[in-house]
Amino acid sequence: MESYWFGDVGDGCCTLFIGDSSAIADRVRSISASMDSFIPLEWEQAVLCGACRDRVDYLARLQAVCIAAAERSIREQYSRKDAELLQMVRTLDEIDTVINLLSERAAEWYLVRHPAFSRKYRRTPAHVLVKTMREKSKGALGSVAGEIERLAETRTTLAKEVSARANEVMPNTSALIGGLVAARLLSHAGGLLLLSRLPASAIQVLGARTALFAHLKTRSPCPKHGIIFQHRRVHNAPRDIRGKVARVLAGKLAIAARLDYFRGVVAPEFLVAAQERIDVTGRRGEL
Amino acid sequence: MIWIGDVLVSQGEGGVYNERMLGGARVWDPHRSKLSALYHVGTGIDLTPGMRVLYLGAANGTTVSHIADYVDVVYAVEFAPRPMQDLLEVSRRRRNVIPIMADAARPEQYAPLVESVDLLYQDVAQPEQASIALRNCVYLKTGGILVLMLKTRSVDVRKEPAEVFQDTLDTLTSAGLIVQESVWLVPYHYDHAAIVCTKPEV
Repeated sequence: MESYWFGDVGDGCCTLFIGDSSAIADRVRSISASMDSFIPLEWEQAVLCGACRDRVDYLARLQAVCIAAAERSIREQYSRKDAELLQMVRTLDEIDTVINLLSERAAEWYLVRHPAFSRKYRRTPAHVLVKTMREKSKGALGSVAGEIERLAETRTTLAKEVSARANEVMPNTSALIGGLVAARLLSHAGGLLLLSRLPASAIQVLGARTALFAHLKTRSPCPKHGIIFQHRRVHNAPRDIRGKVARVLAGKLAIAARLDYFRGVVAPEFLVAAQERIDVTGRRGEL
Repeated sequence: MIWIGDVLVSQGEGGVYNERMLGGARVWDPHRSKLSALYHVGTGIDLTPGMRVLYLGAANGTTVSHIADYVDVVYAVEFAPRPMQDLLEVSRRRRNVIPIMADAARPEQYAPLVESVDLLYQDVAQPEQASIALRNCVYLKTGGILVLMLKTRSVDVRKEPAEVFQDTLDTLTSAGLIVQESVWLVPYHYDHAAIVCTKPEV
């Protein structure tokens, strides 16, 4: 007997399945077909079954079922908590890029208006310069500087939200490496499921794609770290053991990501042990 | 296939992706669609009104919409939710596009939905492209045609595209398919090849 979306067919008879589009979509998901002895369906069977009148009707009904099923799958995938975090952290990183680009351009423009101005020998932070430009410039330049400041405020708010959401969605990874960096790892992997499936060696070089492929294609040295460089134990470690620290950290992150995906709650005993191991590796270089 | 001068078109409701219209028909851009590129650089296959098509890797439904203009029905399989949203919009406007959200590498997922088809068209960014095509051949009628748009860079970025191309041809031939045509899609798409095979009578 073969099970199709409209009913079960076998031994010359057919049992029609009664239900609306979403009930049929449920049924399709529950059918497990084996491809070894599989007989492709013939639409005429659906007519014999009484599921539809003719080919046009058959396709219309099948399409309604498939659209209902796909809409639900999409909703399910988007309702996972990491789906929104992914967009949030990507937006955050893009705002950073935009702020930098706009500030650079505005500064160039400001220089043309004030030929005597130079940033050399001054320790002016970028946001102070933007503020000066807003206060001292008329017209569009002033309002561009104002927009940069507003964007910077949005960025601060968003960064807090990303951090909070990461602590919630991936508590163990966030505890090890901080919410923001954890969210960036998530963004590079493409989702919590994908991150949890990555081997530690891949997590170690997430975000170092250019260097990694340069290494694979030519004889250049392989990258030691990607985004996890942002962890203090990695960037504070002396050069000769930085790779080692990165490797240990990546190993613990791989475990943390799996805990986050499959368990979803903090695992204190793991965190203590992992933190200890990372600190010991990092400290060995300091002595 | 409908040509107006040297422009490939299809007859159907326009505005799917802001495509140009020419004499009431939709221009099928070879730069955007690999199947259109195949018709420009090679022979391809004739799409007829009675054809049933299984399309793997439907993405946003651009090529799907053009094929649907020519044939009876297109079963469009796509895995990712984001392009699926666009594909659903295309399906709502076309009676003969059946959207299926499933993994093309696991054909058993859509066994209860798909009938036997005359054309199996595959355009997926996966390393195992040849084996995905072969696994889906259960849906292909004998004498049916497989069109494999080979993305050589998805198979292995470290290998030479020509090498990947030859390996894939060997895999398909040793699985019993007869290769009719195999061309690179330059100048429209780089590192992409089209392979047209037939499934012989057993």
